[in-house]
Amino acid sequence: MIATLILAAALTAPPRPTNYVTDNANALSASTVENLDAELKRYEDTTGHRIVVWIGQTTGDVPLEDWTIKAAETWKIGRKGKDDGAILFLFMQDHRIRIEVGYGLEGSLTDADSSRIINETIRPKMRAGDVDGAVQDGVDRMLLTITPSFKDQIGHEVAAQSSSSDESTRSIIGSLVIFLIILTVLIFLARRGRGRGGAGMWILGSALGGGWGGSGGGGFGGLGGGGFGGGFGGGGASGGW
Amino acid sequence: MGQVQGRPRSYGLWIALAIVVVIILAIGGTYNSLVTLDQAVQAQWAQVENQYQRRADLVPNLVATVKGVANFEKSTYIAVTQARASVGQLSPQVLQNAANDPNAMAQFQQAQDKLGSALSRLLVTVENYPDLKANENFLTLQSQLEGTENRISVERRRYNELAQAFNTKRNTFPTAMIAGIFGSRFNTKAYFQAQPGAQNAPKVNFP
Repeated sequence: MIATLILAAALTAPPRPTNYVTDNANALSASTVENLDAELKRYEDTTGHRIVVWIGQTTGDVPLEDWTIKAAETWKIGRKGKDDGAILFLFMQDHRIRIEVGYGLEGSLTDADSSRIINETIRPKMRAGDVDGAVQDGVDRMLLTITPSFKDQIGHEVAAQSSSSDESTRSIIGSLVIFLIILTVLIFLARRGRGRGGAGMWILGSALGGGWGGSGGGGFGGLGGGGFGGGFGGGGASGGW
Repeated sequence: MGQVQGRPRSYGLWIALAIVVVIILAIGGTYNSLVTLDQAVQAQWAQVENQYQRRADLVPNLVATVKGVANFEKSTYIAVTQARASVGQLSPQVLQNAANDPNAMAQFQQAQDKLGSALSRLLVTVENYPDLKANENFLTLQSQLEGTENRISVERRRYNELAQAFNTKRNTFPTAMIAGIFGSRFNTKAYFQAQPGAQNAPKVNFP
């Protein structure tokens, strides 16, 4: 435990990104960066959700998920109170991919969705050496998974998705509904079981969980000042190529 | 003359009263800040419980899926089912007191860690069944499970950080003296202990 705490303390996240796309590994072409910046800005203007891309070389000795959650906690991408941010990470030297999803988007971009985006869309293109295509298609699919109606505004042809995804989306919605029912029952039971502390604790828990953010940042560069304060709880998926 | 003699006496009274007020305010302030930190720990504990519950809820589906595969090693999913059952048998007292009671915390963690390692063994076994690894339903469950394991480790770490913040405040001077007045109301918080290899819990890399 002490070792974990020391590790967490020693790990410092890089500075908060100033643009929608941060390419520290020079992996993307200039035109892709430009396209994605414009697309992600349009997406935020339309939906309010802030999605950013961060490309680096390596997380060093730090496990991928420890590194990315630390960055997500530090940057607080997404609006305070709504926690509607998400980050696509790529580490070129490590050959690792991670999608971190803010609390507020966990329902519309589930772990299973993130995993499928990584394994079906990003990984094959990365393996083929097409970084531009991998990131462009991966981002497109993230946006369309969260907001299907954004398709009209995406501004270019969207890569075809596997036909199975519709069916699996339905099964995910099904399991989500079941999960919510189970959760409701459990909360009910917990309230009865725990006496007066239980309900209050739960409400407090969800309130706190929702807004881990501190104060919002000032405006700079490509990213506006409004979209900082989002909370992350480790939702998303990891993968590699 | 009486007035002149009365003055120092009433000054003394006022000074004594001021000291008492300052002490009460100090105790009150310390009490309030301990309550705030305590509530943060309790709230975070609820988050930890939620995520563990989420994992437990995935188990029946997972077991049903691997059961459907011909010749799947029975012992692995039986171990998962048993570990799931012992998690379900944790008493409400244990769940409620774990943050304040090291024994309850140990009991909670032992049951959860057992389920974690049973699940991780099951996912390793799956590597031997290519059909299962191509099964859409299984892949979905697997990614949900991985996501939940990651959330658990995030919420556990946050819990430990908040517990440490509480304990530091609780056990330093002068708060330690004041906390003592309230007896068991402000017990030192129990921590999650890192298990050897716990950080690489269920994580199966595709070739």
